[in-house]
Amino acid sequence: MEENQIQSDALGGTDQEIEELTGMARDEAIIAQQERIQNEIKENNPLVSQTYPINVLCEEYLDDPVYKAKIDDLSMQYSHIRKTRGDGNCFFRAFGFAYLERLLTDKKELSRFKAAAEISKDQLVSLGFPSFTITDFHETFMEVIQQVEKQPVLDELVDTFRDQGISDYIVVYLRLLTSGQLQKEAEFYKNFIEGERTVKEFCRREVEPMARESDHIHIIALTSALGVGVRVVYLDRGDGGKVIPHDFPEGCSPQVILLYRPGHYDVLYPLKGS
Amino acid sequence: MATPWPMQKRLQNELLHLQRDPPVGISVNPNSASSTLTLWSVNVVGAPGSLYAGEHFQLQFTFGKRYPFESPEVIFIGGNIPVHPHVYSNGHICLSILTEDWSPALSVQAVCLSIVSMLSSCTEKKRPPDNTFYVKTCSKSPKKTKWWYHDDKV
Repeated sequence: MEENQIQSDALGGTDQEIEELTGMARDEAIIAQQERIQNEIKENNPLVSQTYPINVLCEEYLDDPVYKAKIDDLSMQYSHIRKTRGDGNCFFRAFGFAYLERLLTDKKELSRFKAAAEISKDQLVSLGFPSFTITDFHETFMEVIQQVEKQPVLDELVDTFRDQGISDYIVVYLRLLTSGQLQKEAEFYKNFIEGERTVKEFCRREVEPMARESDHIHIIALTSALGVGVRVVYLDRGDGGKVIPHDFPEGCSPQVILLYRPGHYDVLYPLKGS
Repeated sequence: MATPWPMQKRLQNELLHLQRDPPVGISVNPNSASSTLTLWSVNVVGAPGSLYAGEHFQLQFTFGKRYPFESPEVIFIGGNIPVHPHVYSNGHICLSILTEDWSPALSVQAVCLSIVSMLSSCTEKKRPPDNTFYVKTCSKSPKKTKWWYHDDKV
């Protein structure tokens, strides 16, 4: 192997420039490029956005008849979308926001959920999560629920979710609840894990770390951990010209509606009266 | 709601817990922790029955402001760097939970236990094959290395 000097001017370079590097200079260039992409995403997208009319999506798919037709179909049932930042945590953030937004006006569900959330930490501890690492996440999670109870104001909730110091704590706690549910029902979930991995390994690698993207298995586990039904509406290049809804668990009456486009989740709002 | 330095509160908790109730073979000298808690050293003893049984090692933890969202930087320091296929002679460690598999639910204790377990499963004391090249060219921080985690079992 040839030795390489650090080429500081290449840090954060293009793919082709990175291809030409080896060893440590290449590592640093790749890491710098990843950071730069993350920073660009950060600057251009709040963790949760304001709401936009559905047809704002058309701007992203100019000259794309497949998506255009499906966005038309989507607008038959849904009026608005609230975008989340594409940082790998979008499912948890979109779910958390949309559900707490619903709790702003649903006192009965709020008190059910608050009680369940209160005892969830002890359940995680009994599954082997160390109390001293999960306490901070649970405390912040409970503080946000209390904020929803005492001050049920949408703008406050938006501010809370835009404050990374709080928002990421909520994401972590939802990830832990997902992991806890998968491990609690490991006999069931192991059938859905590809390869040789155990449920515990899957949780350690694909659920608990930040920025790991969510799949069906995450959604099924989280919805059953919380007892909250979710509808995911799929907008992709598939045939048929219509968006396809899928409810988790099947047959539920969903309390949260999310739009899925390959690799990303946003929050959907139904047309009034539908 | 969030304090300016949530990381210190968390580290304070971890330090207390590790002092009061340390797992076998792991100990922390609270005086070794800097006043802001951003730098600790932890003593680790090789597990009985392993190739490193009874050997004493020292790990240095450096925490950034984003801890526990970002992983700590962890390296072996001092006179005894374990000879192990995932430990470079400069003390850098190739272990996935220290970079891409890090999770905020992990802790200093969890990292130490993983490292002891990594040592315990070793069957032959040797340096990584690219040790010379890596040590000569690597950055000061192992977190700047894009590690390839070939084999978790070694």
